[in-house]
Amino acid sequence: MRLVRSNVRRLVRRPATLVTYLLLIGLVLLIYLAVIVASQQAVDPQSALASRMILTFPNAWFLTLSMVVGIGGLLGVTYGAAIAGSEWTWGTLKASVARGERRAWYALMGIAGAVVMAWAGTLLAYAAGIGATLVGAHVINATSDSIIDTAAFGQLAVLLGRAGLAIAMDVAIGFTIATIARSQLAGIGAGIGLYLGEGIIGVFVPGIVKWAPFAAVSAMMAGGEEGLGAAAVTSTSRLDPGTATLVAAVWLVVACAVAALWTERAEISG
Amino acid sequence: MVEASAALVTRGLAKRYGKRVALDGLDLRVPAGTVYGFLGPNGAGKTTTMRILTGLIRPDAGTVELLGRPFGRGDRRVLFNVGALIEAPSFYPFLSGRENLRALAAAGAPVPKGRVDEVLELVNLQDRATDRVSGYSMGMRQRLGIAAALLNDPKLLLLDEPANGLDPAGIVGMRETLRSLAAQGRTVLVSSHILSEVEHLADVVGIVANGRLVREGPIDALLAVDGEVRIRVAPSEVMAAGPVLERVVGAGLVRLDETPGRDWLIARCDPARAAELNRALAEAGVFASRIEAGATLEALFLEVTGSAPDVRPGAA
Repeated sequence: MRLVRSNVRRLVRRPATLVTYLLLIGLVLLIYLAVIVASQQAVDPQSALASRMILTFPNAWFLTLSMVVGIGGLLGVTYGAAIAGSEWTWGTLKASVARGERRAWYALMGIAGAVVMAWAGTLLAYAAGIGATLVGAHVINATSDSIIDTAAFGQLAVLLGRAGLAIAMDVAIGFTIATIARSQLAGIGAGIGLYLGEGIIGVFVPGIVKWAPFAAVSAMMAGGEEGLGAAAVTSTSRLDPGTATLVAAVWLVVACAVAALWTERAEISG
Repeated sequence: MVEASAALVTRGLAKRYGKRVALDGLDLRVPAGTVYGFLGPNGAGKTTTMRILTGLIRPDAGTVELLGRPFGRGDRRVLFNVGALIEAPSFYPFLSGRENLRALAAAGAPVPKGRVDEVLELVNLQDRATDRVSGYSMGMRQRLGIAAALLNDPKLLLLDEPANGLDPAGIVGMRETLRSLAAQGRTVLVSSHILSEVEHLADVVGIVANGRLVREGPIDALLAVDGEVRIRVAPSEVMAAGPVLERVVGAGLVRLDETPGRDWLIARCDPARAAELNRALAEAGVFASRIEAGATLEALFLEVTGSAPDVRPGAA
C-alpha cells in the first residue's frame, strides 16, 4: 500500500493531473453554459424544453454523472497513458525494478494510484456540474425542490459505482496501451485512436462493438434516467446495464493483467 | 593463500540483441570490500552487464551470483542489498530531490525514516533538496542518482559512469564517499570512461572488450605485468641494444616504436626493472640517452581492448 500512497502523493503534484482536472471541469462547465443559453432561446421550443429538463432535478443527478463519465472516458485513457508512458520515458520504472520492486505489483499499483486520482477528478467535475445545474436552474427559474429525492439517490448510488468502474477501466486501458508502447506520446495517441476508432467502427458493426470497452461504459451509464442519458445507439446494439457492467469489469481485469504481464516480462533498457 | 570472498560473480554471461553480440561469455569476479573499476570501450557490454546485474534484462546464458546468492528471475530480494545507478539518473522532473527519493523509497527495500535526509547530506544536496529536479544541473542530478543508489545502505553498489557531469569538487567528494564505503566493507563496482579517475579510485579493475573479459586483477599487478620500459638510444645503436634487452626481459618482448621520428625501444616488463635494463645496456657498451618506466591504465586499456584514439592529431 505504500506504493499506492506514494503514487497518489506524486500524482497530486504532477502537472498532467491538474491539466486533466481543469480540462474535465472546464468542458463540463462549458456544456452547462451552452445548455443554459439554449434553454433561454425561444426559437426552438423543443431544444429549450430539453435544456430545461437537463437543468431539472432529480434528472440532473444522473445526466451530469453520465456526462462527466462520457467526457472523462477519453481523458481517463489519456491520463492513464501519460502516467504509464512517463514511467518508461523518465526511467523511473527502471530505478524501482533495480531496487528490487516486484514489476507486476509496481504496474498494478501504478494503475491504482492513477485510478484514485481519476476518481477524485470525476467527483470534482461532478460537483462542478451539479453546481452549474443549480446555477442554471436559478437562471431559468426552474425549481430545485426535487434535489433531495431518496428514490433517485438509491439509483444514483448504483450509478456512481458504475461510474467508478468505468473510470477505472478507462485509466487501466490507457495505462496498458502506454505500457505496451513504452512511451507517453505513443500511449496517448494510441489511446485516443482506440477511443475514437471504437466509435467509428461501431457505426458499421454495432453488434460487435457493443462488447468493446467504451461502448460497454456507455451502455452501463445509461441505466439512470433512461432515454436522456443514453448514447445515440439503438437498443439492439447496446448491452443492458447489468451485462455492460460485467463486460466493463472484464475489460478492467484484462487491462490490468496485460499491463502486469507486460511489465513483468519486459526487457527494461534505456 | 585464502582467496577473498566475492561480492559479485558472473559466469559465462551471454546476451545478444538480434544479431549483435553484447556479451559473449563474461566471467567477472568482484572481491568483497573493494572498489572494482569496470572498464571497456563503448559497446563493450558494460551497461548490458549492469542491466543484467539489476534484473532489468535477462541473460541468454550464464549465471550471476550477488552477495553470495544466486541471482536470477524472481530473486528480487537480493537487490534489497544492492544500490545501482544505471546510465542516466531517473527522476520525476516535477518533484523535488527529496520527494523523488521518498517516491523511490516506497519501492523495493524498506528505507528507515531519516535515511533520505542522510543521503542528501552525503551528496551535499541538502540545500537544494526542496527544489524541483527539473531545475537541477547535470552534476546535481548525478549526485541525486548516487544518493538514490545509497538509499538502502547497500552492501554492493553498482555505478554506471558516476562521475558524469560532476565538477572537480564533486568528483573528489564522490571518490572519498566510495572509498569510505569500501573501507566499511562494502563493495563498489564502478563503470567509467575516465581512466585516470578509475586509477585513483579502484583497487581492482576488469576490462571488457567485445563482450568478454580481457583483463582482471589489482591495478598494481596488472600494470606490473603489462608495464613497459621505454629506452632511447642513438639510432646507430638500436640494432645492438635490441638483443641486449631481449636477453634480460625475454625473447619477443622488445620492440621498436615505429612511429616516424621516434627511436624508442620498448621492453615489455615490470617497470621496476628499468635500472637492470640500463645496467645491461651499459655493460654492452650502449648508453641510453633517456629511460621512461611505467605503464598507465590508459596504455593498458588501449592495448588490451585493441582501441585506437578516435581523433588523430592533425585531423581537420
